[in-house]
Amino acid sequence: MNNAKIQQWLIGIFSVLLIVSLMIVATVEIKKTREYKPEIDIDKITARCITCHEKENIAVKQIDAWEESEHAVMGIGCFECHEAKDGDFDAQRCPESDFLIARHPTPKDCAECHEQQVAEFANSKHAHQFWLFANADRAVYENPISTRHGCEQCHQVGNIWPDGSVGECDVCHAKHSFDLAVARQPETCGECHIGPDHPHIEIYNESKHGNIFITKGGEWDMGYHTADNEPIPIEAPVCVTCHMDGNEKQPMTHNVSARLAWESQSPWSYRTVWDEENLGSWEVKRERMESICKSCHAPNFIETYLVTADLVNLQYNEIRRMFVYWTKKLTNDSLIDRLKADGKFYSNPVLNGWDEVPELEMYHAWHHEGRRFRHGAEMMGADFTQWHGIWDLQEDMVELIAWAAEHGDKEAEEWVESNHPSKFAPYALYDIPGSAWGIPTKTNTTPFVYKDNKDYWDRIKANVETVYKKGLLAEDQWDLWMKRYENKDHYLGLKYSSDVDSTWNFYKERNALDTKAFKEQAVKLNLPGKSFWERKK
Amino acid sequence: MSVKEWLKERFPIDYEKFVEINENIFIKEPIPLHMKKWLLAMGTTPFILLPMQIITGILLAFYFVPSPEMAYESVRYITEEVQLGFWIRGFHHWGANLMIISIFLHMMRVFFTHAYRKPREINWIVGFILLFLVLTISFTGYSLTYNQLSYWAATVGTNLVKETPLIGGFLVNMLRGGESVTANTLTRFYTLHVWLLPLLITLMIVIHIIVLRVHGISEPEGYDKGYYPFYPSHFNKIIIVTLFLISLISLLTVILPPGLGQPADPMNTPLHIKPEWYFFSVFLFLKLVPIKLGILLIGLIVLIMIFWPFIEPLTSKKEDRRAIINYVLGGTAILILIAFTILETISL
Repeated sequence: MNNAKIQQWLIGIFSVLLIVSLMIVATVEIKKTREYKPEIDIDKITARCITCHEKENIAVKQIDAWEESEHAVMGIGCFECHEAKDGDFDAQRCPESDFLIARHPTPKDCAECHEQQVAEFANSKHAHQFWLFANADRAVYENPISTRHGCEQCHQVGNIWPDGSVGECDVCHAKHSFDLAVARQPETCGECHIGPDHPHIEIYNESKHGNIFITKGGEWDMGYHTADNEPIPIEAPVCVTCHMDGNEKQPMTHNVSARLAWESQSPWSYRTVWDEENLGSWEVKRERMESICKSCHAPNFIETYLVTADLVNLQYNEIRRMFVYWTKKLTNDSLIDRLKADGKFYSNPVLNGWDEVPELEMYHAWHHEGRRFRHGAEMMGADFTQWHGIWDLQEDMVELIAWAAEHGDKEAEEWVESNHPSKFAPYALYDIPGSAWGIPTKTNTTPFVYKDNKDYWDRIKANVETVYKKGLLAEDQWDLWMKRYENKDHYLGLKYSSDVDSTWNFYKERNALDTKAFKEQAVKLNLPGKSFWERKK
Repeated sequence: MSVKEWLKERFPIDYEKFVEINENIFIKEPIPLHMKKWLLAMGTTPFILLPMQIITGILLAFYFVPSPEMAYESVRYITEEVQLGFWIRGFHHWGANLMIISIFLHMMRVFFTHAYRKPREINWIVGFILLFLVLTISFTGYSLTYNQLSYWAATVGTNLVKETPLIGGFLVNMLRGGESVTANTLTRFYTLHVWLLPLLITLMIVIHIIVLRVHGISEPEGYDKGYYPFYPSHFNKIIIVTLFLISLISLLTVILPPGLGQPADPMNTPLHIKPEWYFFSVFLFLKLVPIKLGILLIGLIVLIMIFWPFIEPLTSKKEDRRAIINYVLGGTAILILIAFTILETISL
């Protein structure tokens, strides 16, 4: 082979080698700029755990989850959390090594590094198993095995461990990735805050907040840290944004009770007194929440919105007062009985009871409908305040009183027989002139109670003033309410009602066309082929 | 009055002479027959890539802001929001990668065909200077994106400079504008990348081509003797290569666009930091030997390579033996370059 040939072969071979190998290297390197997989340094103990778990095929996906975690990036391996001492309730000798490991790290373990977060959590109502104090006998209705994967799964969030620590961090922080994005996802809260008794995820999903999240949230980076009092980086709030995350003025907290002003899960709505010595009064807690709201909303909007929600909570109490009155009366009159065994009662006429219709109505009116009514109003879930709330509450009330009438209660009979429309408001009312949404010009021309009671607003004012003086409304809320009261023709829109008659009449004419159409197409339709039943007769 | 006449009045030059010179220098430039082989005509590739880099670089500079607060954000803005910004950025990135690969290919061809030999030693050295300038412009450009990878690549890259005997400390301070990679470094790199280095590269290319033309393209032995004019055959070849490069780079940009990475965090040192891939072989070598010794050895190797046209005649008096030494040394160097680069790529 001559020199030229050798040169051509060398150039050819090395050209291919250089192009192929360096292009592959350049490709691998460019891919790294698109990968956000954290670099991790695996220590010797962790390496042993991983090797063995992979060999035995035990929970191997958890290794992947850990590799994605910030723990892994920071060099926190298996043993830092799973270390145990002899005698620990969950200590186990690993069969393939001499390691004594903790099967279930508890908040006490997490507190080794996350002391503040664990302490905040322990001071929140997430950590409070309140039902065990007041409602333990509900277990007569639901058998134990059903509660294992029912109640207990969610209420594990407040478990008291044998080591004395309280809570379960991985209820929200999926083990072992502890991914902030997962913890912040509304569906994480919705694992428990769902269903007929507290449909918070459903309420959120139907709110404008939820709608924006569902539409755009897929593009948001939900794994952000808020510890540095930085602006909220997402366009609309998720559950955690309002209840836990920080903004410029509020620090982030693991105490979900720090911003709640009501105990509206309770049979009666009352202003919270939870950990007042550390968290302050309900007004301080409300200020915290409002400070988050103000990241996106004008103060006047949220103040009006929240005082209206507060009045819904107070209105619920007046409705509940009816249920309590009737179940107590029916119990006293021996029309319903309490559950009893060995001299101990297992139902309570004002709290729970399940074998008689009034008891069930009362229970639902608190535990299901009553919560939906209140929580819908607090979190922009209009349908839950309306159809799943007040409508169901009124139905419960009508059914309860009708049951009492059927069983001979004279007062109930009188109510049933009454034809007066105000029978559906057998309790005191709260109200506020207008809403946070704007000035309606025609809406407030229709309510019966407005037309039937010339002194309606004076009576409402007396009720609102009473609760204000009792400390259930703050001073600025009362001022806001009074401002509206004194300008109610403006806020109710009544002073503008006649100004919009031309627009109103336009739709009125359309409505007349609609009425005519449905009468012609449906009401007056008379088919020649009569019913088969009629022919039989 | 025709446009030609109008122009001649304002630029009173001998138009015919101008056409003649142009014809002699460019159109009728005698190209040796061996250049018809694609493998032996690779030197034009980096030359074609240079204007592409300049054009895409100017477009990127419209939006890029060289400050620690804005650098990453402006690269994100270019990539995600500017119309066709991702393509311009990807083109610039892949163009830089291909320029380095094509320079390696060109150098290899020059080496194996002995084109560096007398009287073309100077051009070999000019070529080497061009290689260093291109590596430096790539290094400074990569660092401008200010993500974790590039920030720490800048740190590790300048750390290597620090190890240079005697002047290392001074050099690294000059490059960084301080103790570590900061806003000063970014503005220095930006100035080097968009102004000084492109100017130097253009100047050196002009010198490279002038020297090439003065001596004519080297004609390796063993090929058919003869010439063909630059236009149209070789000119068409350049057009084909240009179109191929535009297509290839566009394809690479679409399939493998450069990502943004994580924003640079000077407080958070990643566990494994690396320079850009074209420094992998040197980087791995320096990891294998004590750093001071490594820098000295690298310096020595580079000096041998730069002055190879003068060293080669000393290796043997026999042409055949010199050729074999050339092939073995060249082949070994390329294999080591590839092996070290791959090893560093697959290492954590």
